Amino acid sequence: MPTISIFQEDFSRLVGRPASMSDIEQWMPLVKGEVKDVSNDTGEIRVELQDTNRPDLWCVEGIARQIRSVLTGSQTPYTFFASRGRAKRRIQVMQGMETVRPFVAACASLDYPITELGLEQCIQTQEKLADAFGRKRETVSIGLYRLASIAFPVTYGLVQPNDVRFTPLGFEEKMTPHEILTVHPKGLEYGGILADCEHLPLLWDTNGQVLSFPPIINSRELGEVHIGDTELLVEVTGTDLSMVVLALNIFASNLADRGATIEPIDIVYPYETTMGKTVKTPFDMGNGQRVSFHAIEQALGMPLGAEAIQTALAAYGYQVKATRQSVSVKLPAFRNDLMHVMDVAEDVAITRGYDSFSPIMPQAFTVGALSEQEQTSDRLRDLMVGFGFQEMFSNILSSRQEFVERMRLTATEHDSLVEVDNIMSLTYACLRPSILPCLLRVEALSPRVFYPHLLFEAGEVARVDVEADTGSRTVLSLAAISAHPGANFSEMHSYLDLLMYYMVWPYDLEPVSHPSFLDGRVGRIHCQGQMVGYIGEFHPEVLEAWQIDMPTSGFEFEVITQKT
Amino acid sequence: MSSSNQTDSLHPLEIQVLRALGAGSTESLKDPELVQSTALAPSQVSMAVGWLLTKQLVSQVSETTTTLVVLTEVGTQFQQTASPHEWIIQTVQAASQDGEKRTVKDLQAIGQFQPSELSRAIGLLKKEGMLTLGAGGSLHITEQKSSSVEALRWLLNHIHEGSRLLDSFSDDHQALLRQYAVKRGNTQEPFRIDDHTERAYGLTGKGRNLLPHLREDAAEEISQLTPELLKDGSWRKYSFRKYSIQLRPPRLAIGRRHAYREFLDTVKAKLTSMGFQEMRGELVETEFWNMDALFMPQFHPARAIHDVYFVKEPTHATRIPEPFLSQVAEAHKNGGITGSKGWQYSYDPERAKRLVLRSQGTAVSARTLASNPPVPSKFFSIARCFRYDQVDATHATDFFQVEGIVLGSDINFRTLLGLLKLFATEMAQAKEIRFLPAYFPFTEPSVEMHVRHPKLGWMELGGAGLFRSEVTVPLGVTVPVIAWGLGLDRMAMVALGIQDIRDLFTSDLEAVRNMRRKP
Repeated sequence: MPTISIFQEDFSRLVGRPASMSDIEQWMPLVKGEVKDVSNDTGEIRVELQDTNRPDLWCVEGIARQIRSVLTGSQTPYTFFASRGRAKRRIQVMQGMETVRPFVAACASLDYPITELGLEQCIQTQEKLADAFGRKRETVSIGLYRLASIAFPVTYGLVQPNDVRFTPLGFEEKMTPHEILTVHPKGLEYGGILADCEHLPLLWDTNGQVLSFPPIINSRELGEVHIGDTELLVEVTGTDLSMVVLALNIFASNLADRGATIEPIDIVYPYETTMGKTVKTPFDMGNGQRVSFHAIEQALGMPLGAEAIQTALAAYGYQVKATRQSVSVKLPAFRNDLMHVMDVAEDVAITRGYDSFSPIMPQAFTVGALSEQEQTSDRLRDLMVGFGFQEMFSNILSSRQEFVERMRLTATEHDSLVEVDNIMSLTYACLRPSILPCLLRVEALSPRVFYPHLLFEAGEVARVDVEADTGSRTVLSLAAISAHPGANFSEMHSYLDLLMYYMVWPYDLEPVSHPSFLDGRVGRIHCQGQMVGYIGEFHPEVLEAWQIDMPTSGFEFEVITQKT
Repeated sequence: MSSSNQTDSLHPLEIQVLRALGAGSTESLKDPELVQSTALAPSQVSMAVGWLLTKQLVSQVSETTTTLVVLTEVGTQFQQTASPHEWIIQTVQAASQDGEKRTVKDLQAIGQFQPSELSRAIGLLKKEGMLTLGAGGSLHITEQKSSSVEALRWLLNHIHEGSRLLDSFSDDHQALLRQYAVKRGNTQEPFRIDDHTERAYGLTGKGRNLLPHLREDAAEEISQLTPELLKDGSWRKYSFRKYSIQLRPPRLAIGRRHAYREFLDTVKAKLTSMGFQEMRGELVETEFWNMDALFMPQFHPARAIHDVYFVKEPTHATRIPEPFLSQVAEAHKNGGITGSKGWQYSYDPERAKRLVLRSQGTAVSARTLASNPPVPSKFFSIARCFRYDQVDATHATDFFQVEGIVLGSDINFRTLLGLLKLFATEMAQAKEIRFLPAYFPFTEPSVEMHVRHPKLGWMELGGAGLFRSEVTVPLGVTVPVIAWGLGLDRMAMVALGIQDIRDLFTSDLEAVRNMRRKP
């Protein structure tokens, strides 16, 4: 979720009326935004935008445009999308780009002398779009240039990494693209995007001046915009044509909102694209569909009527053309998030305000129930509490050291775990295969706490299981320990025996060896014909590994229910 | 309270201590003096004094801490036989009188002392010049005398007669004592240095006033009724000592449910009472059920390496059941049969098999949708989830999500709001609610519910929406479905008086025993 900075005065100007803080707060639901912070010193308002599908709202111009549209009842169309004929300027795409970074879109912005605040907001938008929408410049990156210094046509093509030299932003001396990738901070940060490329993408003008090395860095000569510049070139490159075009459409609309005249540029490809071989950008992709009034009314649970729906959609910025049963809706060109009639229904609801829909209480009768596992688990928990055991509730992501090494299980049949690949820390690297280590951790941390310590936990564990589709199974397990000077096998045996009696689970103990427990004081628990767990006195080496100074015994078994 | 009531409830031990303090020629007595004059055990005296202090009948007049040195068992052993130094000298000298030589190894082989003790003693003797090392590692005793060895002997003998004040020794001796005193990690030392606090007690004015009223027949009282006394009726011959019922009772270790789990139990009970059926899932999920089935495109930012935990081995599930895989793939690519345009990208069925630790409880709902659920029906789950987050006061390694679904042909945006309103009253006792537009990849319309909690003020209680057709239709569900999730942790934390979410899962037994729900 992007968070951006806006300023009240700038915002008011863009909305077209003075906006108080409470106005802003009240309008935020229209853009799924939330005011996070207001700085009284600088007038900066931090706004978080929720909708990851509406990049047009990740800037003050877009937020203001959406609100303005609802307040005035319609969206003023941007005429530059409708411009016909050949554009004044052209970008020629060279063969070979289709395998590196196939798409580009660009436009000229005239008549708006850029202000300090305007430039700051442009840079913020550029960063948010490239970062969150463009996946850290991989699919979309954006550049701004001083239009007056550029001689068209501009070429978007490939060069040898060491063939060209230009001065990148942030540096004094000329460098080759190869040097930029190895030395320049932006080269180091974003170079991975071009990792496998033999030739590198470059934009240069007809005089051979370099505009930029996308998606890494602009040239200093042409790509450093100054406050007061009235003629700008905006360019977007990327790997997904509709995303590239959408980003440019948003940028062009933003500049237009600040007073600029937008002139489209023709992009001429040597290969076919979904929008043709020559694409005049900005380009209205015409995202729309025909939706029935009935479908919207049904989704919202309210017979709003055709007129109210049309009014709401027009106010939210749609172009609408209605017949009796249905309406043809088209999104404005700076949006491309319409996939389904439900998207349209939500926009109707947002425009009218969620609070205008009165809730209908649920009517259908359904039977509530706990799962078999939960019911069994609850019965076991009640019994254990009755036996005098304190229930524990542990985090279940921990380390091999706790689950295997300290339990003396290294290189035994019990040492397989579900492990995390991209661990953040060794402390949280594996899912627990059993609960006993979690209880021993409690004992290890609580030597000064009033004794005796009778502890239990019922919960999920993850067992490696090569038979399962996912290589593991989630199993419900019950574990208990007793720690006090007289803790021993027979005490825990009594508790286990009583538990099994009340659950009516006939069981057997088989004398076996288990590395975690003392030989001769450990048994394997068999229940309902299955091997379900172990009971025993913990081996002193286990207790030493946990730095526990108190005799401790315990049991753990898998809870088998009929429906597992 | 009248003084007779007060004397009645005095324990015989207390009476004896009060008498001893009252009879003394001085204003106060130290604990050893009290032990002497009452002829009670030290533990009994300290117990009685403790009670009397609480009742303000006795006060502490002074406190002096002295440091005493005593011999340990090892020290007594050394005193009676020989210290390691003395033994080395004796053994080497005895051998040389027989014309033989001894090496360090020889001494170790005898086994009288630990190798570490021997090497420390040899080190000291060498340093003080009493011992030299000859050819082949043989040991020789010189004419030089070791002052430390002699000092140690004097100290062993002197302290053997009884414990001594550390201050009574010279600085050199004190240093030596500290060097050879029991420490943590080394208990095999001859001396032990203990801080010993002596306190002196005297009667308070209240205590002195009670003196004339003390019972004479204290010995005739009984404190505990026994089966024998009841059987033969002899209890009639005795009076029962009155208890000081206002003292704190002894502590108990009891059986109890975990307070947070208990909170979740009430949530569970509430949901079943509202007609919800529990559903369960697996901790390890495929990306398919965790994300794809929920219409999160494979390029979604929340699916990156820094947001989800991936499983190391195996990396992928063996299969994803059909027809769900194909239908979900179509929904992503171009909408398929869902009436949607889809995300318009090339879906990777291999990626769908990638195994992750479940990152959202909605994965459980997705599996339920695919299981041909009855209509109408309501489901919930309390599912443990994992997020790739730095662990801190607001992020635990794993946590619980309470959420679920409602299926029905009458489901729409307004019944969704109705359900949320029900949750607000039932779960948070809130009467004021605000619904705000929200965004989730799998619902449209999406709602965030804010409620005014009677104690916490305005708070976000949950998020919900109608599942997108791109979610339901590929899984075989044709009726509208509500998906809802409740954020109850903050309410739980406030109810339990906890500031740090990690404390909900603490391994500190004292904290778990003390945790309780506020009224």
